[in-house]
Amino acid sequence: MSKIIAIALKDMNIRFSGKTELLFFLILPLIFTLLLSGVLFGGGASKIVMVVVDEDNSDLSQRLVSLLQSSEAVAPSILAREKAQETLDNRDAAAILIIPSGMESNLKAGQAVSLDFTLDPSNNNGLAVQQEVQNAISKISRSLAVASASTREAENIQPFTDATQRQAYYDQSLVAARQMFDTAPIRIVITQPKNTVEIQSQKETQAAQASAGQLIIWVFIPLLGTSELMAYERVWGTLRRLVTTPTRKPTFLLGTITGQLSYGLIQMLMLVVIGVVLLKVPWGQNPLALLLLLISFGLASVAMGTMLGTFTRTPSQANGLSISLGMVMGLLGGCMWPLEMFPPAVANVAKILPTTWAMMGMTQLTVYNAGLLQILPYAAVLCGFAVVFFIVGIWRFRYE
Amino acid sequence: MKKILQIGWKDLRVIFRDRAALILMLLAPFAMTVGMGLVTGTLSSSGGGLSQVPVVVVNLDQSTLGVALTEVLMSPELSQLLAVEENNDVAAARAMVDADKTAAVVIIPTGFTASVIPQAGQSSSADAQIELYKNPSWPISSDIVQSIVESFLNEVETGRIGGQVAVAQLIASGLVSQQQAAEVGMQIGTRLANEQSNMQTLTLNTRQTSVSEEPNFLMYIAPGFALLFLMYTVSLGGKTLLTERQEGTLTRLMTTPTGPSQVLVGKMAGTYMIGLAQMTILIVASALLLGLRWGDPLAVAILLLTTVAAATGWGMLLAALSRTPGQVSSIGMAMTLLFGLVGGSFFGGTLPGVVGYIGMLTPNYWGQTGFNTLARGGDLQDLLPVYAVLLAMAAILLVISVFIFRRKGLLQR
Repeated sequence: MSKIIAIALKDMNIRFSGKTELLFFLILPLIFTLLLSGVLFGGGASKIVMVVVDEDNSDLSQRLVSLLQSSEAVAPSILAREKAQETLDNRDAAAILIIPSGMESNLKAGQAVSLDFTLDPSNNNGLAVQQEVQNAISKISRSLAVASASTREAENIQPFTDATQRQAYYDQSLVAARQMFDTAPIRIVITQPKNTVEIQSQKETQAAQASAGQLIIWVFIPLLGTSELMAYERVWGTLRRLVTTPTRKPTFLLGTITGQLSYGLIQMLMLVVIGVVLLKVPWGQNPLALLLLLISFGLASVAMGTMLGTFTRTPSQANGLSISLGMVMGLLGGCMWPLEMFPPAVANVAKILPTTWAMMGMTQLTVYNAGLLQILPYAAVLCGFAVVFFIVGIWRFRYE
Repeated sequence: MKKILQIGWKDLRVIFRDRAALILMLLAPFAMTVGMGLVTGTLSSSGGGLSQVPVVVVNLDQSTLGVALTEVLMSPELSQLLAVEENNDVAAARAMVDADKTAAVVIIPTGFTASVIPQAGQSSSADAQIELYKNPSWPISSDIVQSIVESFLNEVETGRIGGQVAVAQLIASGLVSQQQAAEVGMQIGTRLANEQSNMQTLTLNTRQTSVSEEPNFLMYIAPGFALLFLMYTVSLGGKTLLTERQEGTLTRLMTTPTGPSQVLVGKMAGTYMIGLAQMTILIVASALLLGLRWGDPLAVAILLLTTVAAATGWGMLLAALSRTPGQVSSIGMAMTLLFGLVGGSFFGGTLPGVVGYIGMLTPNYWGQTGFNTLARGGDLQDLLPVYAVLLAMAAILLVISVFIFRRKGLLQR
């Protein structure tokens, strides 16, 4: 046991021998998490940016704009037509809505009006914006639509004598319609599973995604870096020296794993605390479940690093592979881009990665308040990865 | 000049023989681009964005409105967006959300139609509400389902209130009598229901720039990842200077008739050539393997030359400020990631707000702006300001680096 602890402490010493280690251990993960959650400098994208060109500048158009401004999903900015097109061209907005001059007067005259809505097809949020805008225009136009229909029905029975009489009939219908809409019963109720945290706003969802995603990436890459540590010892001949001591292969590997796992666990716990304190992410509802998931993810990552270490020759080769694999597996595991946005086939294939299971497990914790029992399947799969990687690692491990 | 090129060429050969360096210089950006293409669906037939969102409908109403809502959700217009499954068992449907198998369950209760369209003598009530059971781990998808259901209910409500207001107004104006009200109301209601489109006085004319006009999402993200790892490459180039000094090869070089300035410029040329080779390989590979069209070749070439120059400036500054090769490696990787974040390389576009302004200090920001302009059909003239900023950045950083190198006596014989 003392040998294992000694090897673990030695590895931790090597890891923190340079001052710059703190950059990757805490500073960069913190900056990335805060920026991507939208906390730092208002960065990231807590709402989907869209542009509104209000050429009507009427009460009705302003009602439409304020409805969009109160939306949880979109953040409209009001611009002139040329500037709006430029913004879309620069991909700084997902869509443009143009409210043409004369919209309110035409609607009041019973004429249909069409609003030009241009979507950036390369923006994945286009559909969400479209639904939000559709809802907003339905809300502002429904009373007008009812007043028009009512006036049309009266006209069908007996034509109006003049425009004034028609307008008066329309106005009365409009008042009646607005009153009825104001007192209309609510026909939809939104619910969610009982054990889940309160329905989250887009901002909270984004914070939870950033906190979990960045935790996985920033811990996974250094733990894959176990491979670099092994290559380093091999290149400098310290592994050969170990052969001369009464240290068996499993003891050495266990010591290395313990050191790296402790490093990963300390880092993960710090990032969890940052998530709770700065981003209000509900990480700590079930501490035991959280700990189980973190340990199993740490084990899978270290095991993969150990396995990788037996395939690489030099520390720089191991370093390059760890960073590349870590970033790609983080991306495909849903750490940068929510899993729900993936095409279904890709989402299924991504389940062969430990990062995907870690992300799914962390979503269970932050969204579903998952307890120990619910986390067990995710932890079991991660431990399964760890076993497979360790077996390959031990099988291929050589002192020289 | 010959000596400078020889030093540069030697560095280029050393780097391209190092498999480890090649992993981060070429494999990583390419793998990230392909990965991004996969997760956004750009590389598949789905074309990107949300698609086939799983939704379960439980229609316990089985009357006009329940059937209509089910038909809307299963309509051909929404078939690409939603993958709707019908289920009559509420508990089983809820269990699918609980097990994270579906984004939402729409439960249309028994008597929903009757509560919206009341029988004679009754008024509309909210006794039977549609329940949307949302999966919180699918926030975007379930919000879209909610939006669709709310739009449907809005239309229904508009039709109902439309009928009631029309009849009330006709009675008030004396055009129909109280006795005729029920019959006329029925006729109007039927007519409005059949002419739902006439009720929509304000509509959206949605236009999406056609795929042929608008570049593929990969055209934005591929240069982003290439620029991200270009910063790693230039830090690697700066590192060779300190490594050679540490290992004594620089001292040996100084014993030859090669001036300190020639060595320094040769090192800069080496870093520049490595960066240029990396970017060129990535651009050509993504054009050949992923079918990306980069636009006007001359404009692309000048953009590459100026972007790599600015990046080289940062690489040299890093080398000038660092003491050991290890320091260059660590800080270089940190710089790569930070510049990638604030310069927009991770997103294929520049970031809004203060972060965007900070990003302007990076070659990533200007390189990305240039590539995005080209992707949208921009030409050499559109890129002139970008070229100017990148060249100015390169000049300023290289002058500062040389000054620091001299001050630190790094290249003294």
